[in-house]
Amino acid sequence: MKHLDELTAGMTLASDLIASDGRLLFKSGTELEDRHLTLLKRVGVTEVDVEAGTGDLSDDQIREIEEYVRDFFLYVDPDFAPAIQLFHLALNLTANSVAEGWELPDLNQRRATNVEHMEDLFLIGMGSPDTIVKHESELTSFPDIYFRIKEVLEDESASADKIAKIVSTDMSLAAKLIKLVNSPLYGFPQTIDSVSRAVALVGAKELSTLALGISAINYFHDIPAELVDMKTFWRHSITCGIFAKLLAGTQTGLAPERFFIAGLLHDVGRLIMFKKLPYASTEAMLFARENSIPLVEAERSIMEFCHTDISEPLLASWKFPEGLSNMINFHHNPMEFPNPLEPAIIHIADNMANAVEIAQGGMYVLPGIDEEAWEISGVKPEMLEGIVEQYKEQIDIILSAFT
Amino acid sequence: MGSLFSSSISLRKSVKITDDEFILLRDFIYEKSGIFVDIKRKYLFESRFSKRLAELNLPSFADYIKFLKYDSMKAAELSTLFELVTTNETSFCRDMRQLDAFQANVLKEKIDEQRKAGKLELNIWSAGCSSGEEPYTLSILLHESLKMELARWKINITAVDLSPAMIDRAKKGVYGDYAFKTTPDDIKKRYFSKDAGGWKIKPTVAKLVNFKQMNLNDSMSLKRLARSHIVFCRNVIIYFDEEMKRKVVGSFYDNLMPGGYLMLGHSETLHKISSTFKPIYHPGTIAYQKEG
Repeated sequence: MKHLDELTAGMTLASDLIASDGRLLFKSGTELEDRHLTLLKRVGVTEVDVEAGTGDLSDDQIREIEEYVRDFFLYVDPDFAPAIQLFHLALNLTANSVAEGWELPDLNQRRATNVEHMEDLFLIGMGSPDTIVKHESELTSFPDIYFRIKEVLEDESASADKIAKIVSTDMSLAAKLIKLVNSPLYGFPQTIDSVSRAVALVGAKELSTLALGISAINYFHDIPAELVDMKTFWRHSITCGIFAKLLAGTQTGLAPERFFIAGLLHDVGRLIMFKKLPYASTEAMLFARENSIPLVEAERSIMEFCHTDISEPLLASWKFPEGLSNMINFHHNPMEFPNPLEPAIIHIADNMANAVEIAQGGMYVLPGIDEEAWEISGVKPEMLEGIVEQYKEQIDIILSAFT
Repeated sequence: MGSLFSSSISLRKSVKITDDEFILLRDFIYEKSGIFVDIKRKYLFESRFSKRLAELNLPSFADYIKFLKYDSMKAAELSTLFELVTTNETSFCRDMRQLDAFQANVLKEKIDEQRKAGKLELNIWSAGCSSGEEPYTLSILLHESLKMELARWKINITAVDLSPAMIDRAKKGVYGDYAFKTTPDDIKKRYFSKDAGGWKIKPTVAKLVNFKQMNLNDSMSLKRLARSHIVFCRNVIIYFDEEMKRKVVGSFYDNLMPGGYLMLGHSETLHKISSTFKPIYHPGTIAYQKEG
C-alpha cells in the first residue's frame, strides 16, 4: 500500500480501487495518470495498492543486485562489448524480479541438493561417451513416431497431407504443434486449428523438423527429480531456442525454426548424463558452482568429457538431421566446425539464456561468447536489448505449449 | 526499459592481467601447490585477485608477482594466495556410500590384519584435508568400528593441507550446520558438542588427528611422513594437471606400506594416471591397493 503522497504517474494499480462508498473507481492494472491522482485526492482516498516497481528498491538492494549479477560474469572477458551489454540486461531483469518480491538466493541455496543415495551406472574412466550412449539406446527404444516423421522429412516427394496424417496419429504431439504454431514463435494473425492448416502455413519441411524435435523431447521423462529440476532444464532449453530463432531472424538466409529446434535440444547430452551418471553429474554441478566456472568446464574436469561429447554419438544413433546435430554438438566451440555460423548462433543464444536466467534463480556463470563466433554471427551488441524484449513477450506462451 | 543502473557501470572491476603476467602467476602457483590453472580462467583470476592487489596497494599483477617472489612478507602472502586459489567445499560424511564401503571392506580388512599380526596400530594419511571434515570423519569411523577396543590401539591420522588458514580452522574443530548436511543425526550428537560457534568436535575424536601444513608438490616433505596403511585423497587431484597427478599418486604409492590402500573421491580415478595400483571394486567405491 502506498500513501497518496507517494503516488506518481506511471504506477500501476495492483488491485481494484474501491471508494469508501463501495463504488469501483479504477480497475486493477490501471496505469495511473495525473488526472487519476487529482480525482483520488478529491474523493478522499488516502491509500492505494500499487504494483512494486524498481523505484522502490533501496540503495542497499541495488548494490546487492549488482554484486549478485556480477558473480555470473566472472568467467567472461569484462571488456567485451556483448558481455557488457548482457550484464546490463541481466541487472535490469534481476532488479525487476527483486522488486516483484523475488529474494536473491544465498550461498547455501546456490549449492546443489544432496544426492548421496544415487549411484552412477558407469565408473569414471570406464564409460566413454560411446559406451554410455550405446547402453542407453540398447535399453530404451526411441518413439516410433520420431522415425516416421524422419522418413517423410527425408522424402522430397512426400505430400503435405502425408505429414499431417502422421503427426495427427499422435494426439499429444499434434496438440503441442498446434499450440506452437499459434504462439508468437510464428506470429500468424489468425488462429490455426488443425495440423493440415499448420502444414500449409508453416511448410511441410519446417513443421516436420518441429515435430521431430518435440518427439525427441518426449523420450526424456524419467530423469530423477531430486537431481535436476526438469522444469528449469526445459525452460533453459526453450529460452535458448527462442533466442536462437530471434538471433537467426536478424540475419538473412537462415531458416529460423531450425534454430529453435537446435536451441531446444542443445543440452540433450546432459539428459543422458543425468540418467547414466547422476552422481558425477551432481559433482559437476557442485564443482561448477563452487569454483564459478561454467558447467561445461566442470563436466570436463569431473568426467573427462562434456555433454556435447555425449550428444554427438546420441544424435548420430537417432540419425538426427546432420545440420541440426552440428549446431548442437558445436555450441560450445563453434569455431571448430568448418561452417561455424549456425553453431555460433546457438552459442550466443545459450549465453543469452544464461544471462536472463540470473533473474530467475539460475545457478551457473555464463560460459562466455567466443569473439570470433560473435564476429561471424553478424549480431551487434545493440540488438540484444530488443531481442530480450521479444523473448519476454514470447517465453510464457511458448512454455505453455510444452506443458 | 528504464534502468536503475547507470549505463556507465562497468563490468570490469579489476586490474587487467596480461597473458604474460597470467602465465607467470600460474607457473608460480603450480610450483608452490601443484594446482594448475587453465588460461580459460584468466578473467576469474583477475577478479579474485583484484581485491588483494588493492589491499596491498599494488597497481599491476606484475607488481604482485614481484611481491610474491621477493617481498619480506612473501611467506605470509603465500598463505593468502592459497586461500584465493582453492575452494573448500566439504562436509562430514561426504559420500556416505563410499565411506560405508570403505568401513565395511578396506578398514575392516586392515583392522583384522593388524589384529592377526598382533600390531594394534594404524596410520592413515588424509591428503588435502581442508578444514578437517575428512580426517575427523575417519576418526569417527574408527571409533564406530573399534568401540571399546580403540583404547588399546595406536592410531595416527595425519591430515595435511596446503592452506595454513584451513589447518587453523581444522585444529579449532568448530563447524556450522552446512558441514553436517550429509551427517546422520546420531553421529553428530555422539561426536560433537554444541559450541558458541556451532558444533565442536569432541576431544576423543580430535586426539587421533595430527594436522600439518604441506604442499603436495614438495616431494621432500612428503618423504618425511610416516608410512601409511591407508591414504585418503578425495577431490584434490581434480585441481592438478596430468603430470602433477602422476607425481602425487607416485608419492602416495611410495608412502603406502605393502598391501595399503589409496582412496580417491567418488568421481576420481587413476585411469590414465597410474597402473601401479590394483583397483579393488566394492559397491560404492574403488579402493586402489598397493600390492605387497
